[in-house]
Amino acid sequence: MLFFSFFKTLTNQTVTIELKNDIRIRGILKSVDQYLNIKLDDIEVLDLDKYPHLSSVKNMFIRGSVVRYVMLPRSEVDVGLLEDATRREAANQAGKAR
Amino acid sequence: MSFFGFDTTLPRDRQQGGPARGFFENPDPFAEVARAQALEDDDGIDFEDTYDGLGDQLDDDQDAFNDDTFGGGDAGAATTGAVGRDFDFFGTTAKVADVIGEEQVRYALQNPSAAPLAAQQHAAAPAPTATSTTTATTAKRSGYEKYSDPGYIPDLQAKSSVWGISQKKPDPIPAASRRPMMSLEEVEAQMRQRSQPTATMPSQSIPQHMAEPSFLPPPQYPQGIPEGFPAIPPEYLRAALEKGVLPPGMPGLPPGIPELHGAPIMSGPPPMHLQQNQLPPQNLPPQGHRHPGPPQGQRQQQQQQQQMPPPPSSRGPNGGLPVITNPQQLMHLTEEQRNAYLVEDAKRAKRNHKIFLLSRGNGLMTPQDKNFITRIQLQQLVAAAGNVADADPEAVLAEDFYYQVYSQIRGAPRQHPHQPLGHFAQTYLLQTGNRLGGHGNRRAFQSADNHMQRMQQQVQRAVEAAKAKPKNKQLIIEGSLGKISFSNAKAPKPMLNIKRPDSSEGPRPKKVQSDLSLSDRKSILTNIESVYSALMAMEDMERTMPPPPEEGDAEAIQEHMEWRQKVHSLNQKLWRALKVMEPIVPNSTTPHPFIAFLSYPKGKKAIPRIFRHIDQEQRVTILTMIVVHLDSLDVVRLAQPGPGEAQPSIAVRESIDLFSLAVMPSLLGYVNEAPFNIIIGLLGLVIAQTHVQSVARTKVGLGILTMLLSRAEIVKEAGQAAERDWQQWVEKFNVLFDTLEPSLADIFPGAINTGDDMYVWQFLAAVGIGASPEQQQRLVIAVKDRVMETVGYSKTLPADMASQRLGNVNLFMRAIGLDVELLG
Repeated sequence: MLFFSFFKTLTNQTVTIELKNDIRIRGILKSVDQYLNIKLDDIEVLDLDKYPHLSSVKNMFIRGSVVRYVMLPRSEVDVGLLEDATRREAANQAGKAR
Repeated sequence: MSFFGFDTTLPRDRQQGGPARGFFENPDPFAEVARAQALEDDDGIDFEDTYDGLGDQLDDDQDAFNDDTFGGGDAGAATTGAVGRDFDFFGTTAKVADVIGEEQVRYALQNPSAAPLAAQQHAAAPAPTATSTTTATTAKRSGYEKYSDPGYIPDLQAKSSVWGISQKKPDPIPAASRRPMMSLEEVEAQMRQRSQPTATMPSQSIPQHMAEPSFLPPPQYPQGIPEGFPAIPPEYLRAALEKGVLPPGMPGLPPGIPELHGAPIMSGPPPMHLQQNQLPPQNLPPQGHRHPGPPQGQRQQQQQQQQMPPPPSSRGPNGGLPVITNPQQLMHLTEEQRNAYLVEDAKRAKRNHKIFLLSRGNGLMTPQDKNFITRIQLQQLVAAAGNVADADPEAVLAEDFYYQVYSQIRGAPRQHPHQPLGHFAQTYLLQTGNRLGGHGNRRAFQSADNHMQRMQQQVQRAVEAAKAKPKNKQLIIEGSLGKISFSNAKAPKPMLNIKRPDSSEGPRPKKVQSDLSLSDRKSILTNIESVYSALMAMEDMERTMPPPPEEGDAEAIQEHMEWRQKVHSLNQKLWRALKVMEPIVPNSTTPHPFIAFLSYPKGKKAIPRIFRHIDQEQRVTILTMIVVHLDSLDVVRLAQPGPGEAQPSIAVRESIDLFSLAVMPSLLGYVNEAPFNIIIGLLGLVIAQTHVQSVARTKVGLGILTMLLSRAEIVKEAGQAAERDWQQWVEKFNVLFDTLEPSLADIFPGAINTGDDMYVWQFLAAVGIGASPEQQQRLVIAVKDRVMETVGYSKTLPADMASQRLGNVNLFMRAIGLDVELLG
């Protein structure tokens, strides 16, 4: 749940998402669910020349499994907190595995 | 023959006329009017005078071809006269047009007085009068139906001017006598208005159906119309009433729709009147059932109300305007009032239409249906939230740590960050309960209660199921080859099923044992992680701190003691993990574990958090450790700029900055409270254990020295320093000064134009304050060049930067009693 928890804090921030088919989309993250499906608003496709069919798309829902990267706004990430959250997550996982 | 399928024939008609009298039953109204006239001695137009006597002219012998003409075999046989008259329907109608108009006027006059009379009679001798009234009403209605033919109405209007003469007769009738006539309708309208202000649609629909004559703009007929109009509304109204305009079975149906059927019947009333007289659906059913004689009761009621002043509430919505129930009244109003009224009316119509649109789906779902849906939604909610519904904040924090804490730090999107979804579900449950319980009906309440219980049980079951599920992630059906693995939102189906090595038999313990060098990268990182986990455990403990125990509360004291015990053991764990107390191995190639710990950014970042959880003794130990190993600290060791390099590499500079930001404040915080002897001891350590000249060439090294020197100066200024201690300090200081003096010019970072040298001036100022006058002299000589350089350089800089640089220099100059201003 760490990533879900993390992405939830990025709602209404601008993120760039790279899909596994190399399309890169920048938009405002509207919501994310536990499968890391992503809803984007006000989108902008970065290599629009290559994907003209996306030129009129204004918002989209991206299935979590097709996402390769999510580029985050640096200022919106609390690194120290994220580190701690990661440690907790690891501890939880270790606790569950045992 | 009636439009609405009622038997509208009068007893008299039944006798004389068969069922096939033709569609236009002309004689009826006049006969009826004559009856009414007989009841009420009226000096108006004499009916006999105006009766064209068509009926008398009928020749029964000449109806031989009636069948050919009308196609009805039996039509002529029964009532030949009627057929004969009906044949030339337009002509006949036109002939009697005047009479019709007059009769309307007269009826209007008779009506108000007739009603009370009927009521009186009803009171005296109920049975006979009642029937007569009923028949009269029905007859009247049937009489007007035939004029619903739209083609006929223009005639009526055209002739209306002719009434100018005959109008004289009604005119002299005093206003008082006319007054009750209006108020009868007024009262009716008031009643309906009060019970149902939601008349709908008609303003849009009716006028279209009723062609041009339906609405007569008042100014057009200033004289003739007033008497003509009021005749119709009550008529229509009663007709509508009797016919049960709104079938009781269709309460949801807007009144406007049945209205459309009725509309063509009537000739004349403007739409606004119709709207006002709309019948409330809830009022209708009883009247519909009472069909044969509804008007009596109603009239009685009306009469009673007539005598009373209209209730003030009815005037409310019109805002002081009189309640308008028929166009005549409208006519009496001033232009302004009329406009206001029309606007009001349009508003009402609009609102009613909106309500109608909104309420179209009303009653489609029963409460049971709604409950069912609610249950499904709740179930989904529970399923989506997993077992969060019952989770305490701890569990939520464990699952959703980042989001929860981040929200707390940066302003939560959720109002209450600890509020899990389950609370939401619970609130929702409660809300539904209240709503259902609010009905007041005991049975409804009970069933709602039952329902709530069922729902709660279901939610509980769902929650339990959600909790139980992860335990058996796989299902192996006997005889099948594969496994079926379950997944849910919280534990998605695993793609890989890797068995974790148990920590007891894994290689890790061995590694720990074999970890002779405590400072290889991996073990350092492991150490850091264990420090962090200890830290987090301590922070958790802090949150769960029990309230301070009260005197005599043994349990609370016990609890508190246990908590302290736990905190203490965690503290020990943290301390061990820090490895501060590892023996110092002189001349070792591997750095001390704690120093290695500090060489990683996250190790540095941990220091402020660690300092919050350790006591003073542990703090001084850490400080001592750092001071002793000042040489080998990465931020000191690597910060020495190599030959030919102006400053250390970017990575090193970053770690220096981090150290200055993370570690130094903690150390400074301690030093500012440290007793003087510790400061002396630390300075002694610096001198004894480290290579002062190289340490002094780094920012961190100088920072620590500055820290110590300034603290000593503060202690001295405060007069807290014992004489013996001070002597000791001066001794150490002198050693330091002597050691540093030759390299004072080198402690500046690179050339004048590189980077920030403020910390150097701070250090020099700290030295200058504590130095003797002779030492100050030497100090000035040592750094004179740099001072002059900086002053000269600052002249080439923009004003703000220049003043900043000069301010730095001044820090030092002031410390030794000088000022850059003196340098010109």
